[in-house]
Amino acid sequence: MTPREDRWLHAVFAAASVAIVVLVGVAVAREWHRPLTVEQRLVLALGVVDRCVTCHDESQHPGKALEQHPVERFGCTPCHGGQGLATTAQAAHRASPDWERPLFSKSERDAACGACHLGAAAPVPSLVAGRRALTERGCAGCHTIPGIAPPNHAPELDGLRDKVTPAWVRAWLTDPEKLDPRHRMPTFALTRPEIEALVAYLWTLTGAPLTPLPAEPTGDADRGKTALARLRCATCHAFEGRGGDFAPDLGLAGVKLDPLWLWNYLTNTHRLRPHTRMPGFQLAQEDASDIVAYAAEQWVPDTGVLPWQAFAGDVKPELAQQGQLLFAEQGCGGCHLVAGKRAPPSAPALDRLGDRRASDLSSTQKGRTLADVPTWVAQKVLEPRAFDMPGAQRSKMPSFPHVAAEEALALGIALATQHAVLPPELWIRHHDVPPFQPPPGEVGQLISRFRCVSCHRFHGQGGDVSRIPLDNAGARLQQAWLERFLHTPVTVRMDQPERMPVLGMTPREAKLLAAWIETTFGDDRVAPAPMLLPEDVTAGKALFVQNKCGECHVADGGGTMKGPTLDGASLRLQPSYVVALLRDPTVVPENRHPSQRFPDAAARAMAAYVLSLPGGSPWPDALP
Amino acid sequence: MRNLLKHIQASIFRVGWPKDERAATKAMVSSITLHVHPPKVRPAALKFRASWALGIISLVLAGALTATGVYLMFYYYPHPDVAWRSMKDLAFVVPFGVVTRNLHRWGAHAMVAIVTLHMLRVFLAGGYKPPREANWVAGVALWVLTLALSFTGYLLPWDQLAYWAVTVGANMAGAIPWLGKPLRILLLGDLTVGEAALLRFYVLHCVLLPLLLFGFVGFHLFRVRKDGGLVVAEHDPATLNAKPGFRIPSWPHLVYREFLVGLVTTAVLLLLSLIANAPLEPLADPARTPNPAKAPWYFLGIQELAHWSAFWGGVFVPAVTVLGLAALPYFDRHMDGVGRYFPKERRVASTLFLLLMTFFAVVTVIGTLFRGPAWALMRWPS
Repeated sequence: MTPREDRWLHAVFAAASVAIVVLVGVAVAREWHRPLTVEQRLVLALGVVDRCVTCHDESQHPGKALEQHPVERFGCTPCHGGQGLATTAQAAHRASPDWERPLFSKSERDAACGACHLGAAAPVPSLVAGRRALTERGCAGCHTIPGIAPPNHAPELDGLRDKVTPAWVRAWLTDPEKLDPRHRMPTFALTRPEIEALVAYLWTLTGAPLTPLPAEPTGDADRGKTALARLRCATCHAFEGRGGDFAPDLGLAGVKLDPLWLWNYLTNTHRLRPHTRMPGFQLAQEDASDIVAYAAEQWVPDTGVLPWQAFAGDVKPELAQQGQLLFAEQGCGGCHLVAGKRAPPSAPALDRLGDRRASDLSSTQKGRTLADVPTWVAQKVLEPRAFDMPGAQRSKMPSFPHVAAEEALALGIALATQHAVLPPELWIRHHDVPPFQPPPGEVGQLISRFRCVSCHRFHGQGGDVSRIPLDNAGARLQQAWLERFLHTPVTVRMDQPERMPVLGMTPREAKLLAAWIETTFGDDRVAPAPMLLPEDVTAGKALFVQNKCGECHVADGGGTMKGPTLDGASLRLQPSYVVALLRDPTVVPENRHPSQRFPDAAARAMAAYVLSLPGGSPWPDALP
Repeated sequence: MRNLLKHIQASIFRVGWPKDERAATKAMVSSITLHVHPPKVRPAALKFRASWALGIISLVLAGALTATGVYLMFYYYPHPDVAWRSMKDLAFVVPFGVVTRNLHRWGAHAMVAIVTLHMLRVFLAGGYKPPREANWVAGVALWVLTLALSFTGYLLPWDQLAYWAVTVGANMAGAIPWLGKPLRILLLGDLTVGEAALLRFYVLHCVLLPLLLFGFVGFHLFRVRKDGGLVVAEHDPATLNAKPGFRIPSWPHLVYREFLVGLVTTAVLLLLSLIANAPLEPLADPARTPNPAKAPWYFLGIQELAHWSAFWGGVFVPAVTVLGLAALPYFDRHMDGVGRYFPKERRVASTLFLLLMTFFAVVTVIGTLFRGPAWALMRWPS
């Protein structure tokens, strides 16, 4: 072999040897950065290995969350996300090609709570808001969402043709905003031929036959207006621009409603709409006729609202068929029952949205990508059209013009709690509020007929028109007063616009319900009848003045009406409740009372004073 | 004491550091590691272009893969619940875990490529002709074993890449008529890739296939020597002035060169492993199919062909290629031009073989870089 070749070989030897030494040195130097000891917390039930505690000191965890979720049992990543196995900050906190779950955002953390804390009353405000919104916005009408019931507040559509005009339906489907800015139906962006087909289909749906008007329509508009005021309809419905927004605005009822239908509805509400939240008033025929007359006279049709001609002639069957297909396709039947039946879900199930990774989330038309599931859902709700790709078929998702950004994010949080695999059974906490079950028998039928839970809450369930839950009504109220009130309501809380409507109970029904409330809605915190001594009244009055109770209550004809009037309270309130309230204000429903707790003696003295206040019964006589 | 050490040394190395040609020959013959070499070699066989060192590089890579593989086995659990987490442990807590895994991964890819090039080189030099027919067949077997080792190892990280690549690979095997379905079940131990498949692949990768590989490697090396060493032309221009049959001692000329090849290979592999990390994707999820799901790169040519026709492209062409390669020495037996690249006498054979290899290279590149979602052609690699 030539010397030149040898030199060449030696050079290769030298270069390769030096390279290997240097490279091994680099490899060793890299090892130097590894933490010497790795601390980890194992959650065997989840297969979680969290090495976060290598760097983070768990005793420095802010708040009290770890008291109930010790790291030894729950680890870190189930609540915080990130890569627990990693021992470098970059890998532990950020997303990488092999780890698509970076540390959770605030909303993702809330959603993480919701994976274990099920139910509407989970102890996380955003979850409560989100789950409530899922129900309120009717999301479960189209999507299957575990734990969320389909909405029950959309009107049934059987017999819609007896109730409204085709022009109304056309106008409504074109721009519901214009007709009722507080409406709850999402906007579907339908084309004119689509609306025409839907109207045709809806006109094939027959409802319960209407009872003809009395031979001589004797309604009087003035009497009708008085009747509306007397029955306190404004608690739920707005008319002449004022009133509650719990039920449809009556300002356009003259345009919208067929007089015959309205008359039938007022006289026998639940026959036409068995699922409505409106109580079964069963108005007297005269009252109904008066209100119909008032509607016809006062609520003049606003022709600007109704751009198209009224529906005339027969429905074309092929058009109706087309409308039926569209009805099914758009998922209308998920919210609006037809023939008492709900249509099956028409949109993708949202039962495992929490498993989606950032890469699974569709981006918007403009290429905006959403970082996490809650934000993505929020964007979908706020701007569903932004996700429709040019050229591709428009998604069926309607838009929700009334959902604000915060509510949309809460929706996203509530949906991001849904995973294909539930956490271990031991971790699950149910915060469900059992639905109100009326008792069997006549009382239950009355509760059902008068729709008490449309307005009143009981153990957290039910409507919130009334601020006063029924929870301890029996412990609070005198039975005699209650039965009189149920029969003919008076105003107790002047500061609140919502008034108990006049439900038209018979004395027997009022007595039955009052007795049931008295015996059912007790309160352990209210001790049985304390002795109230007349000689304490003076001291009680002094305390009453000293504690400025008059700033909210009317007493002895003086004071303000922020709270209930106390004159004549002895007829209304149970003495034991007044004492209990002053000792522990949390017994007050909704906890609006100042939180001061009085000692037993002071509470008794003040109760003695309050119950000594003059004031007669608001009703001239007792119930027969 | 000094005597004792000398005694121990002498008991192991019968012959000391060779001082002359005779001692060198004796050294080669008396050592178990060196005896696989002939005592003397033809100078032409030492030229780099005679072999491009591809065989030795393959052997060095096989050794590096065995060493790193054993280290990885200490930390790896072949079960879907923990396999992927083993990768994470290698990345975050095992000393030298990252670099070891990189060495193993890049070494494996390199070995597939180098063994293929080795085969190409031997073909071009006519190294499969008598008396080397059986060793060529053993070489083809080693090539197939290398692919099988790489493929079985591909599943072990249990990430999306592994899971779907093996799913695609197993489906391609399933396209074989008659045999396909039973073969697929035999390979996976189940109808889909799951824990049974992982265990089977692990055992194949760590026990059965390495044993076979080393057996064939032993045979291959032994036959290299017995068949007369590297195939080189008798009248190589480098030794024109030497008389035919002139030999020089293997020690130190051959052994030193082999050592250098090992050194350079190690350095390059180490450099690669410090620069680039082995890929890892999210945990395997049978419910989330990537689009497109791709086989390992060396099967992407076949996947590309299978896209055109599952049977003709996915089964027929590969099967005929492997069988044709194995049968080749028994049909192409004339000895003209052996030992030289692109001799006039073998122009047709060289061109045909190069065309075949180019064809596979092109479809592999297309399948690897230019196929996007739904196996649609893409303008540029994603």
